[in-house]
Amino acid sequence: MRAFSYDGRVGFGSADEVERAFAGESYLADRGLATALYLALAMRRPLLLEGEAGVGKTEVAKTLARLLDAELVRLQCYEGIDAAQALYEWDYAKQLLYARLLQEGELEPDRRLAELHGPEFLLERPLLHALRAGAGAVLLIDELDRADDEFEAFLLELLSDFAVTIPEIGTIAAAEPPAVIVTSNRTRELHDALKRRCLYHWIDFPDVEREAAIVRLRAPGVSERLARSVAEAVARLREWELAKRPGAAEAIDWAAALALLGVATLDEETARATLGWVVKNEDDLRVVHARLDELVA
Amino acid sequence: MSSSPDPLAQLVAFGHALRREGLAVGTGAVVEFARAAALLPAADLYWAGRATLAPGPAEIERYDRVFRAFFGSVPGQRAPAPLGRRAGERGPGLGMTAAEGREASKGTAFLASPVEVLRRTSFGHLSEEELARLPELVARLRLSPPLRRSRRRRAARDGELDLRRTLRRSFRTGGEPAELRFRARTRKPRRLVLLLDVSRSMAPFSRALLLFAHAAMRADARWEAFCFGTRLTRVSAALRDADPERAVAEAAEAAVDRDGGTRIGESLGQLLARREHLSVLRGAVVVICSDGLERGDPELLGRRMARLARLAAHVVWLNPLKEDPRYEPLARGMRAALPFVDDFASGHDLASLTALADRLAALRA
Repeated sequence: MRAFSYDGRVGFGSADEVERAFAGESYLADRGLATALYLALAMRRPLLLEGEAGVGKTEVAKTLARLLDAELVRLQCYEGIDAAQALYEWDYAKQLLYARLLQEGELEPDRRLAELHGPEFLLERPLLHALRAGAGAVLLIDELDRADDEFEAFLLELLSDFAVTIPEIGTIAAAEPPAVIVTSNRTRELHDALKRRCLYHWIDFPDVEREAAIVRLRAPGVSERLARSVAEAVARLREWELAKRPGAAEAIDWAAALALLGVATLDEETARATLGWVVKNEDDLRVVHARLDELVA
Repeated sequence: MSSSPDPLAQLVAFGHALRREGLAVGTGAVVEFARAAALLPAADLYWAGRATLAPGPAEIERYDRVFRAFFGSVPGQRAPAPLGRRAGERGPGLGMTAAEGREASKGTAFLASPVEVLRRTSFGHLSEEELARLPELVARLRLSPPLRRSRRRRAARDGELDLRRTLRRSFRTGGEPAELRFRARTRKPRRLVLLLDVSRSMAPFSRALLLFAHAAMRADARWEAFCFGTRLTRVSAALRDADPERAVAEAAEAAVDRDGGTRIGESLGQLLARREHLSVLRGAVVVICSDGLERGDPELLGRRMARLARLAAHVVWLNPLKEDPRYEPLARGMRAALPFVDDFASGHDLASLTALADRLAALRA
């Protein structure tokens, strides 16, 4: 499905439309998320998504890319990431070879050393790639909280003017800025300046209804009854004090596994046998095993 | 909002109300809010503000409160859990408020006790005046935690080949890479995470420990501090206030435990239960300040300590009871925790904190 053009760019006409389009791609966005996405596209602002692991932050960007028929460009952040890994890098080995050829006279004299920094020696990294692709791309900057402050500052600059200057080549600017989704797991607080630059949405765990619907959408073999009992059990698990609270991804896997085993509805015995699908921490398993009767009550 | 003659004025007034509630709402944000509101049907006004004015769980909580007061109701959705839970009110237990602290500092035009005496006096025995001098002394403490290897590289005498700089060099020799250049990984200081026991039995030390934590938080923006008694509170943000008295008072208010007991195992459980805390702990130097008088299950404490020790690079336990040379860690909680502690010290006076700071700096990754 291809969304129609809005405000000179590919986008959606309203938040409802976003909600419907996402549902069509098997992503059930709630009202808040749909509105935030719509606003981000209409106002041409990056969208900062926060929430616990497994609530589908990354999936939002993937779905959006599919809907806009755009290329998903993903930048996974980690501690120590810098411009060379995120923006561009020169292909040194190739440059060296080229320099040797120049020296040995194998190349015409009018192709001079300056060309060593021509575009053909430039290794494109995700950010530069997204800039060049412009509106044809959805840029996902994943887990920005993992990168250092300096990188955040660098990114802020890039997100402000969607242009970058490479000394040897010149300025490369996006004709039409790409849609940008930034995610963070809140391991540290992002800078205010960056937050000001972005629209913000907190993705919460879905309620039981929505979760059951998500499970049914993502795991087609699951009956309505099973989906509901899994959603209820997962909601209970999230109330308990666990090291890792299960996300929607775990709920889907669990339901799919149960369906494969031919289980109609969750009971103590089947829950015990398949618990590893939803609880993935040894301490947590001990806690949950002791309270299995409450889990499926 | 249709009842108002000028909707824009109402949006602006709403922005001001948020500002009064302590949200950082600049004029730019209000403009964004108005733009967003114009793009949406009136029923979605709540979401227009959420996306533009409330960047974070704590902010959403306040935003909801103001929105409800201003526009009546908030669309049904659970508020996300804030980073660190705040206590509703201040209870008994910690004898420290900003007023008391300021009161004390007013009276200290001249302080007779020389620094060295202060350094050697147990925090439990300090008078208010002496406590008031603590901040500047603690601030002088050089906290330099051990280093770890970072992914970043910089020019070095040896290490791996640095192609970029080698190539640059080769231009001088006509494209012949005659001189090789190298680069090596840099080292970064490890994160320091402080876990402070603020239960009643630790009350004589609490103020000094919080001041110590304040100095640490001011030293490095990436460091974190938590308080615990029967539950855990993240106090890093409160302690980053420039004014030590205000910082300590605010942290104390957030952390005060009405119960006054110590459940270290459970508090550690809360720490280990949140993913964002896990990444804070991973590879960090963790300093626990507690007398180890555990009221909960010692076995649970042992298990949690084992997990903490696996995550952290180095675990230090400061126990003021250790000040007494005859002290032996007989309390069951302390005994259960000890196998997972790398450094067991007293931390009851400045001298011992200084010694700890030196020992940490001497550790190398």
